[in-house]
Amino acid sequence: MRTIAKLLRVLNSETEPGQISLGFCFALVAGLTPLWSLHNLVVLLLVLVLRVNLSAFLLGLFVFSGLAYILDPLFHQLGLTLLTAGSLEGLWTSMYNSTLWRLERFNNSIVMGSLVFSLAVFVPFYLLCNLLIRRYRAHVLAWVQKTRLMQMFKASKLYHAYQSISGFGGPA
Amino acid sequence: MKKWIRWGGLAVFVLVVGLLLVFWFLFIDGIVERVIEDQGTQLVGAKVELDAADLSLIPAGLTLTGLQVTSPEEPMTNAVEIARMAMSLDGFNLLRRKVIVEELTAEGVRLGTPRDTSGAIKERVKDGEDESAGGRGISFTMPSFEIPDPKQILANEELETLKLINELKADVEGARETWDQRLKELPGKESFDKYEVRIEKLKGATKGGVAGALGGISEVESIKDDVQKDIAALKNAKVNFEEKLGTLKTRLDRVKKAPQADLRRLQEKYSLSPQGLANLSETLLGQVIGDWAQQGTAWYDRLKPVLDRAGQAGAKRGGPEVVKPLRAGGVDVRFREKDPLPDFLIRRTTVSLQLDAGDIAGNIENITPDQHILGKPLTFTFSGEKLKDLRSVSLRGVMNHVDPARPSDRVNLQAVGYRIQDFKISKQESWPVTVTKGLADLKVRAGVQGEALTANIRSNLNSLSISAGKQDESNRLTRALSSAISGVRDLDVEADVFGTLGDYDVRIRSGLDKVLQQAAGRLVKDLSAGLQKDLSAAISDKVDGPLKDLTQNFGGLQAINGDLAKRLTQGNDVLAGLLKQSVAPKALPKELPKELPGGFKLPF
Repeated sequence: MRTIAKLLRVLNSETEPGQISLGFCFALVAGLTPLWSLHNLVVLLLVLVLRVNLSAFLLGLFVFSGLAYILDPLFHQLGLTLLTAGSLEGLWTSMYNSTLWRLERFNNSIVMGSLVFSLAVFVPFYLLCNLLIRRYRAHVLAWVQKTRLMQMFKASKLYHAYQSISGFGGPA
Repeated sequence: MKKWIRWGGLAVFVLVVGLLLVFWFLFIDGIVERVIEDQGTQLVGAKVELDAADLSLIPAGLTLTGLQVTSPEEPMTNAVEIARMAMSLDGFNLLRRKVIVEELTAEGVRLGTPRDTSGAIKERVKDGEDESAGGRGISFTMPSFEIPDPKQILANEELETLKLINELKADVEGARETWDQRLKELPGKESFDKYEVRIEKLKGATKGGVAGALGGISEVESIKDDVQKDIAALKNAKVNFEEKLGTLKTRLDRVKKAPQADLRRLQEKYSLSPQGLANLSETLLGQVIGDWAQQGTAWYDRLKPVLDRAGQAGAKRGGPEVVKPLRAGGVDVRFREKDPLPDFLIRRTTVSLQLDAGDIAGNIENITPDQHILGKPLTFTFSGEKLKDLRSVSLRGVMNHVDPARPSDRVNLQAVGYRIQDFKISKQESWPVTVTKGLADLKVRAGVQGEALTANIRSNLNSLSISAGKQDESNRLTRALSSAISGVRDLDVEADVFGTLGDYDVRIRSGLDKVLQQAAGRLVKDLSAGLQKDLSAAISDKVDGPLKDLTQNFGGLQAINGDLAKRLTQGNDVLAGLLKQSVAPKALPKELPKELPGGFKLPF
């Protein structure tokens, strides 16, 4: 409940859409790929060092990790196709002989498939999130505030939790 | 730029990584312990337990203490118990996800130690059921030394003779019914009498001038045709009948010989033939050697996955190779390495085996499931001297799976001065045999090439003391055999095991057969002859009546044959009479007119 409240707080706050979108995008990479992969350490470093919205990242991680279970067969197929492609064999062979890439476990079909997929959609997803957040703030927020459902929500415990959270995530 | 950078985050990152490392240091030993127990249990099919695991990073190494591997067949016994096992690991290759153990030292290795609690796992019960259902291995059944009652034998056995008699009787009756019916349809006395009447009538009709004469010729030809047709039908029927009769007679001959075949079969089953006695040493020792072979092949089957991953993965050299990992999702794809190394390798293992008899030391080199990558076979050497009940023992072997398509495994075992005590050769109630004491030298050479198994076992047994039979034995034969085998002091035994891992046979040669034959051969012959005589009489009692009935039934068929012959004779007589006393020449005038009345011309 607190996480949902935080998200609403973030979405409706002055936090820049780019920072929220970036949080979702990093969550996309960390959530869709196997969690205990070397590249996720880099993602963690970037999430913490860059001013990325942490609530968006955590919520995204939760959502995309769940989604990964459904998409794993697709990632496996994609990864296997890439890893067994004759034209890429030289590249994979040289990477296979590197300790760093072996630690990354790039030669696993799901690691390869999910990583390639998440990196490929990273930028489009960032732009889409930005667009949706801006539109939400411009058009939907005012309308939502007036709806009966929102009125009921404002009277709920969730809203009180949301109210109690202040100054969360992103730059102040 | 500052707007996008959160330097405090770096500190948090360091903290998170630090926490992960602390977690690793605190819990990795427990995790390793759990992984070894779980994976080991899965592999062995019975509980694998570990007291403690200690993983060190610098230098990379792992020490396991108190490892217990339950015997899957005996859940209250540990197949192996190892007090301490220390491994030095190749740290660099560990980063590349390759477990390369440079040296493994196993101390305090003991076999067959008792357990406090059962080491069975639920899944194993099902596996065990399957294995027993498979019934691999061989069994040797001791021949019965009892002389059975022939009447009792016949009460329990179905005689092939009676079965054949009943079948033939039914067929004979069926044939008789069929031919009785057919005889009714075939021309008989009545038909031939009618021809006689027609001939007589024709004789009267020849007095009618030329027209009468011509009509007579036509009628004669008609009767001749009819008689010839009837004779042909009878001849055809007779040929068919004789064929059928011939078949039935052949079967009758077989039935008459069937009692002898029944006698032979029952005698082989119920009596100890001199040939059976000749193979008695194989029966006695074969079970022991067969059990050893079965245990050996069972352990070999268990070790095979450790030796043979290449065959399972369908590896191809050169190009990428897809390997299914044991756990986790997806598949790992392997590529050619500059310096190829297997994923798992123990270069050298030093083992100190603590047996009740004393200590045996040895080493194993190149343990890996990927010999085709390493290019070296697994080798092992164990030896021990001045043991409690054994002067010396040595075990050497090579398990070569470098070429996965042509695996070749060899093992040589040599034991000198093994002291035998109360070793049960035969546990069968009819004739128990135990070597109470003795000394044995043993040489075993065994090999597996692909699925083909060969083994040669040579043993010299000396200073023997053998007890056999029961105290109050009344059976003359077992008394004679027991007396003979108890007197054996020295014995050479050679055994060959051959076949495939799933289906093998044991052949044994020893001086024991000669001893047993000399002692009991005459007795066995007499007993066997007695049983043959009694059994023959009992079979005759049971078979003679039905056989007599069957022979009588054949008499009915002979009567049909006689009837057919009689009809054929009658038909031939009618035809001969017709030809001999042909009415046509007498009826016709000596010279026929050129033209018939009415201007018709004769065709001749």
